[in-house]
Amino acid sequence: MPDTHFYRYDDYDRTLVAERVEQFRDQVRRRLAGELTEEQFKPLRLHNGLYLQLHAYMLRIAIPYGTLSSRQLRKLADISRKFDRGYGHFTTRQNLQLNWIRLEDAPDALAALAEVDMHAMQTSGNCIRNVTADHYAGAAIDEIEDPRIWAEIVRQWSTLHPEFTFLPRKFKIAITGSPNDRAAVRVHDIGLRLWRNPQGEVGFEVIVGGGLGRTPMIGKTLREFLPRDELLAYLEATLRVYNRYGRRDNLYKARIKILVHEVGVEKMREEVEAEYAATRDGALRLPVGTIEAIARQFAPPDLPPRPAISGPVEAQRSSDPDFALWLKSNVAPHRVPGYAIVTASLKPAGSPPGDASATQMEGIADIAEAYSQAELRVSHEQNLILPHVAVEDLPRVYRSLAALGFAEANVGKITDIIACPGLDYCALANARSIPVAQRISTHFASLARQHDIGDLKIKISGCINACGHHHVGHIGILGVDRNGVELYQISLGGDVDFGRTALGTILGPAVTADKVVETVDAIVATYLDAREDGERFVDTYRRIGAQPFKEQVYGPL
Amino acid sequence: MAKNLSGDLQVASANRLVDGMVVWLDEAGQWTDRLQHAAVARDPRGAEILLERARAEAFTVVDPFLVAVIEDEEGTIEPLSLREKIRASGLTFEAIAADAVRYA
Repeated sequence: MPDTHFYRYDDYDRTLVAERVEQFRDQVRRRLAGELTEEQFKPLRLHNGLYLQLHAYMLRIAIPYGTLSSRQLRKLADISRKFDRGYGHFTTRQNLQLNWIRLEDAPDALAALAEVDMHAMQTSGNCIRNVTADHYAGAAIDEIEDPRIWAEIVRQWSTLHPEFTFLPRKFKIAITGSPNDRAAVRVHDIGLRLWRNPQGEVGFEVIVGGGLGRTPMIGKTLREFLPRDELLAYLEATLRVYNRYGRRDNLYKARIKILVHEVGVEKMREEVEAEYAATRDGALRLPVGTIEAIARQFAPPDLPPRPAISGPVEAQRSSDPDFALWLKSNVAPHRVPGYAIVTASLKPAGSPPGDASATQMEGIADIAEAYSQAELRVSHEQNLILPHVAVEDLPRVYRSLAALGFAEANVGKITDIIACPGLDYCALANARSIPVAQRISTHFASLARQHDIGDLKIKISGCINACGHHHVGHIGILGVDRNGVELYQISLGGDVDFGRTALGTILGPAVTADKVVETVDAIVATYLDAREDGERFVDTYRRIGAQPFKEQVYGPL
Repeated sequence: MAKNLSGDLQVASANRLVDGMVVWLDEAGQWTDRLQHAAVARDPRGAEILLERARAEAFTVVDPFLVAVIEDEEGTIEPLSLREKIRASGLTFEAIAADAVRYA
């Protein structure tokens, strides 16, 4: 296995995962033999990430904090080819979903995952789910500290945590180590933001009670500054308060955001701090040695500084407009001079957002090995990231990505759409998401036009559960079912940027599926007419309000 | 599980235990992957009986339920709801490398 610059399983992890695979193998055998009813079996399969969707079982594979080695990605490709239909869907929770798994094959798929230190535990159920983090982690120029160190500590603490396996509802934690939040920490059950206080110490702002879904809420600050070594004890206190007071009588009011909303953040803080006071100096205070041992596994790769300007890159920038646009939108600065972070767009025009074939997964694993220290990240925006690319290699990486169809220069643009699987796959959905995303992306395919429009995030959900994050889309699209007809509710002004996090406001009556593209077109036209120099779509919306957009879409009111 | 639109005609559907594939109960009490082979209940009492029969034959499937359908003059049946149309006919777009059937 190529040396990785992130956590490697120890014997304890390997034993735990291997035992879990064999337990599940026996559970599947008993179910197929009729020894277990579906009622008995369902929670067991869900605890192993195996859902039953419209057409087939779906396996949701955890990708902790969105970090993958090329070897792991090759294995995912191999599993998708051997046990599925040769493709997978990267999700807004940095996971991978395989949509066509056979129940009888699921234990073998899990065993194959275990070979590369992966599993599907806690990707379902009312437990602490896969912890997500900034997809630029370990490479970002603005990073105060690598959030994955803490995500890994949380992963170890929360894996099969007996007290938190049957919470009132699922629980999602996101961590960012940068002031520019790329992990959407204000819309998670708990968001953790590493920052440096005036004394120069690094600690966490603990944000609680955010979330999307049926009742979207922006998280509130529970603790302004938490010393790092107190993280687990504080999380345990918070989860304990939620477990004690969170509602279990109503599925739709069971998330921690409802508890925080009902009792108020001050009361929540009082309860958490009281619980914390009783436990803070217990076994969960992290010893320095433990933190350092995990931090060592995330030691950055040895990247000798290189020239930040490359002649061939500049020459191609001048001669190849698409490459120039790609540099602008898909390449971000790295903390080491002479390197860059490259986003491979899984959103080529007209394609299902976030989908990659086994061949594409292998192709990008090749690129990661050749040019990015054999490492990748999955973003919650459903793209793949090459975190450590030398600037002089950018033309080669661009060419290789283009051969895979992943070099679309659209990151952050109107066709970089987040979309849930929707009614084509999902048992919960009311309307389709992917075909809507495909039509929008085909309509706005021109790269020059996309770059003229500028940063504009469209997020599409096929039901109110909001897996497609529509509440925080600059343009949010929610599919609803009205008497058997798919309609799409449009909202404007959502945002996940830190300090500007906002929930979108519904523009007006929902539109039919065939009107979605022209509605988006009208919204974009309104923005282009009204924007002032340097204004992004969402800035213009904030300045002029909804009325001009309404008039353009629905006519004079 | 599924939402049914109102309709007089019903078929019984489920997902096959071994692979999750969509199946319907046929006249012989077997689960088939072909909607056109499904047994059709033509009145509420018939639908109740069909569902009871489906539940009795549920060893190899998961969670049987009734699906409202319409039938044309040639006897071709089609689900009323989009959701059930998609269950019957597959994805409505070309998935990468998928051999799912396009719903027209």
